[in-house]
Amino acid sequence: MSKEMKKFVALVGTNTKDATNRKLLQFMKQHFAGQADIELMEITGLPMFDKPQDMHVPDRAQAMAKEIDAADGVIISTPEYDHAVPAILMNAIEWLSFGIHPFADKPVMIIGASFGSLGTSRAQEHLRQMMDAPEVHARIMPSSEYLVGQSLKIFDDEGKLNDTEKVAQLEALFADFQQFVNISKELWHSTQVDKELLDNRNNIKA
Amino acid sequence: MKLVGIAGTVEEVSYNKKLLQFMANHFSSQVDIDILPIEGIPMFDQDNDQTETQAVQYLNRKIKAADGVIIATPEHNHTITAALKSVIEWLSYRVHPFEDKPVMIVGASYYDQGSSRAQLNLRQILEAPGVNAVVMPGNEFLLANVKEAFDANGNLKDGKTVDFLATTLLKFTKFVKVINTMNDVPVQTDGAAEEEDLMAQHPVKTTVKDVDMEADDWVEQAAKKTNAVDGDTYVKLDRGLLTVNQLNYFLNTVPLELTYADDNNQFIYYNRGQAKGKMLAPRKPGQTGDPLQKVHPDRAVRGVKKVIHALRTGTDYVMTPVPGWTADKAIIHYYKAMHDENGNYAGVNESVFDVMPVVKWYLKKSGQLLMPDPNAKTDAGASASVDDSASAGGSDTGASASVDNDSASTPAPAPDMSADAGAGASES
Repeated sequence: MSKEMKKFVALVGTNTKDATNRKLLQFMKQHFAGQADIELMEITGLPMFDKPQDMHVPDRAQAMAKEIDAADGVIISTPEYDHAVPAILMNAIEWLSFGIHPFADKPVMIIGASFGSLGTSRAQEHLRQMMDAPEVHARIMPSSEYLVGQSLKIFDDEGKLNDTEKVAQLEALFADFQQFVNISKELWHSTQVDKELLDNRNNIKA
Repeated sequence: MKLVGIAGTVEEVSYNKKLLQFMANHFSSQVDIDILPIEGIPMFDQDNDQTETQAVQYLNRKIKAADGVIIATPEHNHTITAALKSVIEWLSYRVHPFEDKPVMIVGASYYDQGSSRAQLNLRQILEAPGVNAVVMPGNEFLLANVKEAFDANGNLKDGKTVDFLATTLLKFTKFVKVINTMNDVPVQTDGAAEEEDLMAQHPVKTTVKDVDMEADDWVEQAAKKTNAVDGDTYVKLDRGLLTVNQLNYFLNTVPLELTYADDNNQFIYYNRGQAKGKMLAPRKPGQTGDPLQKVHPDRAVRGVKKVIHALRTGTDYVMTPVPGWTADKAIIHYYKAMHDENGNYAGVNESVFDVMPVVKWYLKKSGQLLMPDPNAKTDAGASASVDDSASAGGSDTGASASVDNDSASTPAPAPDMSADAGAGASES
């Protein structure tokens, strides 16, 4: 890995073993290996978020937060369940915004794959709304919808996307995302103010 | 009125639980609200189906049995909690207790928003096809700054808020009645079905013009007009080549009574294989060519229209039982929509057959017996009233035409025929 290569965490938005959203991220990791270092992160192994009174954050969430902290940006691939983000991904984001704020000002790219033809359009909107909440405070790349429909048919035996238009679109988006990471570094003015507000709310020591 | 309440959180201390509890107590003279905890419901996992566990089944049964559901949702990250979402995912995967269920959404939050975004998001989720709840529109109840909202006894302090909640709940009780009334009444498609022209007055490309449809020798006249081939002339088919004679030998020995009614609702063919007295749905040679209305008694017309309309508008097939099933005889009408190569509706392919000889043969060959199913709901078909006769092309068989119960549209799998037959066809 060269020094200039950016490091990304790729969050697999599902706990399903044969998920095409995982395949999509694996394809990105492989396809962009010369440009960036993409590491997949699973969201399993967290308890159901119950907003504990003692504000204790599980070790697993702490470890995830640490990896996200160290990354230049996060790519999230989400399925769609009932017109929305799956509970398991919502749960991970709840833990990762509970007294800890690894997503704060972190550039985020949202993608998604579905078996049907809609390609997780509603779930992606939902995820944007969540990542935009003050406790999460991510920097979501705007105007970058990437929907993969019919996802059971779109990968070849080697896990490559077999649709050249989709590949070209992804390449362009990922180039933009790397640029977006650079630009986002300039957006920091509201961060401190928001952080203090949140800490006051949660009564947490910064 | 029996309602269930779900607080969308697994927090130990929750103002949404408090809000539901207040509603259950304060309005106990008007509604019976049973609060269902969601603690203990695991995270949804497609690879580890927990639908059959006691915890999920408990919610499933309670919600199914209730007249309506009240959900109190907190807001985390502009949306509902993962805990609530997980519950909805389980209840929209293998079981669907929210289907057609009236739902009211309320919510409480620590700050100004009062769960405003979470409520909108919850509406969107509850309207997804697998959930299919009927959420009461409007009437948003947002309780903000909850830490100040309740007194020491768990009652809402502000009188206006209580009044507003009372009004909202009253509207919901009316909404529940309306929705559940709507659910009880089968969807009336008669309006559109009435438009079906059973007098066959809208000729199609294949209609033979200038021949009296009702003439007893319509077949002969129409054959002459079209120079139709017969006898030993070959016709090319998909897939094969037969003479007209061979085609007749073949169709007349199919163990089904076949009828062709075209997309102009003209009865243009049946396989005259059986002597008239033996036919399950008797036809007369002179009837061929008649408009469908002429081969049905008046009382059957409405049912025929319903069946044809269903097939014309996308229903793949309709099955209706002929009343009078016994252990020896269970006659079925099977109406299948036909389409041309471009997918345009091309008429009805009707077959009439008695399933019992096949069922008996199968039982004998496989060493099984037919048993009554103690859990079966009596199928309307077996004892159906005869008002709705719908044997397209048939004369007088009086089959009922409950399109809603007996049909399946593509790509639904074939219906479970044994379940339909069970009620009237036990052999014990």
